[in-house]
Amino acid sequence: MAVQAESKQSSHAGDHSKLDPKDHLLLDPKPRGEMNAMVMEAMQTTHWRFWVAVAVLGGIVAYCLVYMWIYMIQEGLGVAGVNRPVYWGVFLVNTVFWIGISHAGTFVSALLRVFKAEYRRPFTRAAELMTSFGLIQAGISILMHMGRVWRFYWMVPYPNERMLWPNFRSPLMWDLLAITTYLLASTMYLFLPLIPDLAMARDRSTGWRKKLYRVLALGFRGTEKEWSHLHHALNIFAFAILPVMFSVHTIVSWDFAVATRPGWNSTIFGPYFVIGALHSGIAAVSMVLIVVRATMKNMKYFIRKEHFNALGVLMLIVSMGWAYFFFNDFMVQWYGGDKWTHFLLHWHEAGPIGWMWFLMLIFNIAVPWLTLWNKKWRSSPLVLFVVGLLINVGMYFERYIIVPVSLGINRNPFSWGEYKPGVEIYLTIGTFALFILLYMIASKLIPLVPVWEVQEGQLAHSVRKIGKAELPAVTDLE
Amino acid sequence: MTEKLKILALFEDIDPAAHSMDALHDLGIGHEEVEVITGSPIKPEMMGRHHPHSKVPLFAFVGSVGGLFIGILLAFVTPRLYPLNVGGKGLSPGAPSIVVIFEMIMLFMLISTFLGVIFESMFPDYTKKEYHPEISDGHIAVLIDIEPDQQSALEDAMKNAGAKTVRVAERQQI
Repeated sequence: MAVQAESKQSSHAGDHSKLDPKDHLLLDPKPRGEMNAMVMEAMQTTHWRFWVAVAVLGGIVAYCLVYMWIYMIQEGLGVAGVNRPVYWGVFLVNTVFWIGISHAGTFVSALLRVFKAEYRRPFTRAAELMTSFGLIQAGISILMHMGRVWRFYWMVPYPNERMLWPNFRSPLMWDLLAITTYLLASTMYLFLPLIPDLAMARDRSTGWRKKLYRVLALGFRGTEKEWSHLHHALNIFAFAILPVMFSVHTIVSWDFAVATRPGWNSTIFGPYFVIGALHSGIAAVSMVLIVVRATMKNMKYFIRKEHFNALGVLMLIVSMGWAYFFFNDFMVQWYGGDKWTHFLLHWHEAGPIGWMWFLMLIFNIAVPWLTLWNKKWRSSPLVLFVVGLLINVGMYFERYIIVPVSLGINRNPFSWGEYKPGVEIYLTIGTFALFILLYMIASKLIPLVPVWEVQEGQLAHSVRKIGKAELPAVTDLE
Repeated sequence: MTEKLKILALFEDIDPAAHSMDALHDLGIGHEEVEVITGSPIKPEMMGRHHPHSKVPLFAFVGSVGGLFIGILLAFVTPRLYPLNVGGKGLSPGAPSIVVIFEMIMLFMLISTFLGVIFESMFPDYTKKEYHPEISDGHIAVLIDIEPDQQSALEDAMKNAGAKTVRVAERQQI
């Protein structure tokens, strides 16, 4: 009996001591040439459905974004729903939302690089692309909000005959500086690690692609000096772009927080906005990866359940962080006793948009907490996609409640009012369509997987036997 | 004086490429006459070589100092050239000025870092160079400058070390 028990135990231990390398990309290496071929095939193989989607999205962009924007410029901002007392409507909601989406790329790429989180390797570029394209939508939304968009250059500081100079004490100018800095920095941070992959694409392309990649690869060969310069630059970028990322959404929060309005004048708005940005951003990265994996060839090799599991854990932690900051913000305002704030909080919960307030809490807290604790569920692309979608809907609601809903209540009860969006609905659909369209086009033009980073990771990983168990071991090669 | 030859030895793995460095040393070929080209970064120590010096951090530092001055210019100097009194605040209050200065420091530091890579790597360079497309497929190329009379000894040494191919490197359009 004792022998039987020992044998059972031993067999049980044996089942768990073997590591299945197929679960881990970095322990399941393929020859570099094969990985290159897989990425090139994913980029160059295009199903007819892709072109149909591009045509539909192009049509939506042309009508909802281009035509409607021209219409708004011709007719004036009156065709939008912004009016007293709600001067900031969906345009600002979209700006905050898209800047939030853009945080994911930097967070996933830079922060995980700084902390040497190895699972980041195959999807850093997919996330970085979201940063650049998200910021473009944020910038477009601000320009829409300006109304007289052709006066944009008035914000640019240069000596001029108008004797106008931007006011650098205004949070709106800080916005311009921070978003410009972030857009340029994230574009450079996207491009630098792309150079070796563009060189790879150059080496195995023909025709117009060869010419394009030849120009973009800048003559990169992979000499020791080139790698060394790139390595130094990526380290500097990874450390420096993080405070820029934090500054951008903090400054966006100050657009609201520095105004002495009920609901906005909160010292915790900076970190509350940053964590909100990460919440929607990481959820959006997960969604994009799931779509990329499902629709592009060979991506199942690079993007695996281990990555969804890791992103699911991140989403759960960030959701807890968001709940913590939300409660802090709510608690202090509720306790303060200011009657206008009290009116506002009551308006949030029991006003005509009260359903949105409750859905925000359900989508941002209840849904991730009830699902993502389970490894099996969070590793499932379908579950993670649905949770990510709901989080993004919840975060859009959060921004909607902060901007137009909160603006409806102020210290002058005679001017209270509701906001009903007009042309903004089309323009919002247009920005979403443009984001997806740009991403789809980019996925066919640049290698979406940083193959050299994956190869570097595979070189650094091995299986080490400790006792009876085979465990993954990592060598620091960066 | 005879013109030097460039020999390109192509290896499939790191280990034989690293061992080839010993063979080169035995032939009296110094580190400065050898260049290693790879499709993904490898630590120079793996090849028994020194870390190449990079001035990219210096570019970043100079850029951040430049950004500091531009931030000070925007936050402290220009408000005096174009005074605009708003909300009873001073022309250059401390906290808002820090925001402007911070953003300028970061912007110019990161732009300089990017330009550092471009200048240090001498990008863009579309001239013909010694290269082999298999490098980006994971092969490791060792490019060696030698006197013509060393060619056969070098080729033998590289083949013995495990090189897949050894040939005179031709400049090609990449």
